[in-house]
Amino acid sequence: MFINVIVNGEKINIDINPTKRLVDFLRDDLNLTGVKEGCSEGECGACTVILDRKAVASCSVLVGQVNGKEIITIEGLEKDGELDALQRAFIEIGAIQCGFCTPGMILSCKALLMNNPFPTEDEIKRAIEGNLCRCTGYTKIVEAVQSAIEWGHGNDE
Amino acid sequence: MKELRYVGQRIIREDSYDKARGKTIYVGDMKRANMLYAKLVLGQKAHAEIEIDKTEAMLVDGIEAIFTHEDVPKVQYNAFEWHSSIKAPRDEYLLNNKARYVGDRIALVVGKSKKAVEEAIAKLSIAYKEEKPVIGLDEATSLAFSKEISTGDYEKAFENADYIIKDIGTTPKIHHAAIEPHACLAEFDDRGNLLIWAPCQVASQIQIHVSNILNIPLNRVRVVKTVMGGSFGGKSIPILEPIAAFATYRLNRPVLLYMNRTDTILGTVTRNATKITVETAVNKEGKILGRKIEAHVDGGAYNTNAAAVTMALGKKLFRLYDIKDQCYIGKAYYTNTIPGGACRGYGSPQAHAITEVNIDNVAKTLNMDPCEFRLKNLIEDGAKDPTGSTDIGNAKIKECIIKGMEAFNWKEKRKNIRNKNTNRYSYGIGMACGTHGNGYTGAYPDYTSVDLRLFSDGSVLVNMSIHDLGCGTLTIMQQIAAEALDIEIEKVKVTEADTLNTPADSAGTQASRVTYVCGAAVKEAGEKLRQKLIDTFCKLKGINQDDVITSQGYIFNKQSNQKYSYSEIVVEAEKTFQEDMSVFIKYKSPANPASFAACFAEVKVDKYTGLVEVIDFLAVHDIGKSINPMLVEGQIQGGVQFSIGMALTEDIDIDSKGNVKSTNFSKYHILNSTSMPKVRTMTIEANEPYGPYGAKSVGEMATVAPAPAIINAINFALDTNITTYPATPELIINELNKKS
Repeated sequence: MFINVIVNGEKINIDINPTKRLVDFLRDDLNLTGVKEGCSEGECGACTVILDRKAVASCSVLVGQVNGKEIITIEGLEKDGELDALQRAFIEIGAIQCGFCTPGMILSCKALLMNNPFPTEDEIKRAIEGNLCRCTGYTKIVEAVQSAIEWGHGNDE
Repeated sequence: MKELRYVGQRIIREDSYDKARGKTIYVGDMKRANMLYAKLVLGQKAHAEIEIDKTEAMLVDGIEAIFTHEDVPKVQYNAFEWHSSIKAPRDEYLLNNKARYVGDRIALVVGKSKKAVEEAIAKLSIAYKEEKPVIGLDEATSLAFSKEISTGDYEKAFENADYIIKDIGTTPKIHHAAIEPHACLAEFDDRGNLLIWAPCQVASQIQIHVSNILNIPLNRVRVVKTVMGGSFGGKSIPILEPIAAFATYRLNRPVLLYMNRTDTILGTVTRNATKITVETAVNKEGKILGRKIEAHVDGGAYNTNAAAVTMALGKKLFRLYDIKDQCYIGKAYYTNTIPGGACRGYGSPQAHAITEVNIDNVAKTLNMDPCEFRLKNLIEDGAKDPTGSTDIGNAKIKECIIKGMEAFNWKEKRKNIRNKNTNRYSYGIGMACGTHGNGYTGAYPDYTSVDLRLFSDGSVLVNMSIHDLGCGTLTIMQQIAAEALDIEIEKVKVTEADTLNTPADSAGTQASRVTYVCGAAVKEAGEKLRQKLIDTFCKLKGINQDDVITSQGYIFNKQSNQKYSYSEIVVEAEKTFQEDMSVFIKYKSPANPASFAACFAEVKVDKYTGLVEVIDFLAVHDIGKSINPMLVEGQIQGGVQFSIGMALTEDIDIDSKGNVKSTNFSKYHILNSTSMPKVRTMTIEANEPYGPYGAKSVGEMATVAPAPAIINAINFALDTNITTYPATPELIINELNKKS
């Protein structure tokens, strides 16, 4: 099946088995290894990507479902070498430890801010309730999102 | 003393930059030409003879090999042995000859793609001839280890007591739940060494086992520690690495051995489940006279760490309260369940889970405030371990409680919290204390080496065998090196373990030893190299030491008022004296003091559903000195998440036949963002002798006291005596029904 998809701003037209999982397509075919796989069942959120402004678990989406859509992975967040405010905040607030949940975590937060530039603390927590982190206890992750908003980057798009 | 420039600062981790951009390469992201994929086949029955028919599976396109017990070296080992001097009962093979638990590794499938491997595993025909399994401590009879530790005469103390308070409690098997599933990559390097890339805690431990099992000299086995997507002890003992090494050795191809989540839960190790009985004798005045504790430890199907964890659990009990007459009996048993292994806190969480609830019950019997009761009985600064183990050091646990009571508004809350109760919700606060160690001194070899080199361009390499598990260990070492050497921190790089290239280290990243032991080694190396620079400079310039000062990569000649960069001095010294600017130090840890914490929790219990919400949490830690407060807070907050899980939700659920029900994150519940409270942290920084700049451990300590603090809060809210972990909604409803 021919699939048209935009990944990190790049148009891709590819003949591919539509039953392939999106996570495998991104990692194996496009070498976007920032997409992590932690549970393969949509429960840990490590493989989260943004699909048409929504955060989705790419292990639970098939390539056939992304035809005509737009995907952003962690590799696509930087603009002209500038980190996204969320990336900066995660780094500076110390919200990153082992880093394995980080790409998915940041993308869930990014999808939140795309649709709700000034979320409350509860809304932030709800946006990442499907992203498990075993290192941080989430406290600094929530603080990082709040900092990114304070820094005035909550309203892009 | 010079003011500290880097130690004590919120230095940002260098590795977080790539992690935030998805550029970091974990072992599962690595690819090699001609690389094969491999996956273990895990036994489906808890106790059974097995017969494996590979015929059909071998026909799957792309399958290169299927190994079973018949194919592997007949070398028994115990993966727990982490140093050449440590010997434990050896009862496991690369691939086992029988299924001894659901999850036992019985075959390895190797193929050109993951797809081929998965297809072949589905086609593998395995016949099980079942035998009766032994599940859980109540059924267990086969001893794996037994030991008594005693001080004084507890029986006599019991005779003199006004009250003896007895509690029996249990703690569950816990999955480490590092978000990165287990994986490793083996290959031959360009010099013919067997090279294993692994997110590991002790690279030299893998080297020892691979060398032994495959009969290859140690100097031909190279283990390189990769970026670690979380471990918490789970990636401590080598499970996959010797098997991947074997596959590469046999097939002469790179092999990536991977696991999914279910395999990681079933086929690695767990925190040991325990059943602990504690009896505490007190007088009316509130002084603990004696205590007897018997711990039964579920060791699982192989010996692994049965002895070590049972001992570690018991030893902590002599280092928190001032109890002269105490007896600990520890017994570990074999069962047909997942073997035990290191897990953050290593016995301390289990020990404190029950004893700290018992301490609350003693206070309740005496009608005393639990904080006040503890303050009457906790050890003092400079206390000695009554068993003769290493000195406890600068113990500030009382200060943790006093500061914590104030910050938590303990007295007022304890008095009034029940006023918030409604028909449906009960509120409670509770607290608990805990202690943990700082390395292995007193029990096992604890030494390390640092090769510290200043290059001609002024950059610095701290060559040592560190394993950053994700905690930021490298940053801590970088801060200490920059401080001691008096150089800009950006110039300092620290290596991670590579067994053929980094210097010897006895124990890796385990036992809360890295900041306290390895950090002290780095400090000593930094100070020696700085002195060497000064000596060299004085020799070159013909001046006295009194005439020079160092600052941030420069040496100033006070007489001539000239400044020279470290780089200039290195170049000149190497030319003049024909010697590089480096020091190599060997460091043996001289002490093993205790770290402490007091945790305070407020809970809201829904009496209709049994759900517990932790609405406020404060952790106060005695850590000597915070090298990097941002990382310390992160350790504590993450440790609290781990421990709340033990208190409320986490349990590897195994039925009477040994089948595991919690095989994924929908059935094994770690706390997510919405169930976690905002964790407040405080540190007591009173300088620990021998620790670098006074620092001691925090990461494991953080998982010890939160769980009993929460259980104590629940018991206060409901007037129950829950001693079973986790306190699930079902358990709480049962407790409430018992009362009514």
